[in-house]
Amino acid sequence: MTWEAVSAEVFMFAVALAAIGAYGVSVTRNLLRILLSIEVIFNSILLMVVAMLSAYPALGSAFSIVLISIVSAEVIVVVAVLVAYYRLSRSFETTELEEGGV
Amino acid sequence: MAVEHIPLYVGILGGILVVLAYYITVAKDLVYASIALALLGSFNAALIALLGFPIVAVFVVIVYVGAAVMFIIIVISMLGGEQREQREEFRGVSTGLLVASALLTVLAGAGIYLVYSKPGTYTVSSVSQVLASRYLPALGVLFVALAATLVEAISVARRLEQQ
Repeated sequence: MTWEAVSAEVFMFAVALAAIGAYGVSVTRNLLRILLSIEVIFNSILLMVVAMLSAYPALGSAFSIVLISIVSAEVIVVVAVLVAYYRLSRSFETTELEEGGV
Repeated sequence: MAVEHIPLYVGILGGILVVLAYYITVAKDLVYASIALALLGSFNAALIALLGFPIVAVFVVIVYVGAAVMFIIIVISMLGGEQREQREEFRGVSTGLLVASALLTVLAGAGIYLVYSKPGTYTVSSVSQVLASRYLPALGVLFVALAATLVEAISVARRLEQQ
């Protein structure tokens, strides 16, 4: 009974995190806020992956480590691109991209 | 730790995660939002350790929070956290509700929300064996991706210098 309750709780909080992350991505046009919200979604996905692969702990750990490494690399590239965009446009708003780029 | 208290600890940590996630989406200053992201990653690592994956938790704290999120905090601090921002609440709320309902449908429909069970014992060497055998192609792709990331970040920085 204890582990069933834990399982339901973990997935409930993961869904809540994913929903809040999706809200953050859609509610704003600021690229930095969108990046931070995508990271919230990543944390939700990581929680779900860990819970789903709990029956195979070594496999789940290996998969999670690969996932975390790829996301960390992606964050660094995205931040580098955002800095380049900021130095060109002096803004993080997506409206300028929608209006024809910088 | 008493097993019957684990749902309580999971509830407390999950509640903290939800509050931090909401703060990230509404904080006026993005420096505070990025610091909240670091806290969220740390509490997520605590929850993952509580679920029986201490190696993953250590990796989250060292690699994700210690490197990637710190990089975000430093960059946002240098550029200035208070940015001009347009918000469309209706679009955000409707997307959030849509994602939540889709995920709940899949998780409840397929019964996935009950798949978690307390993991058995495993060691760093067993994880390494899986990485070096079953996950070897993924590990190769990971090395290439990390090398490409390094080259990409250097080339972006050098292009800015030339401009």
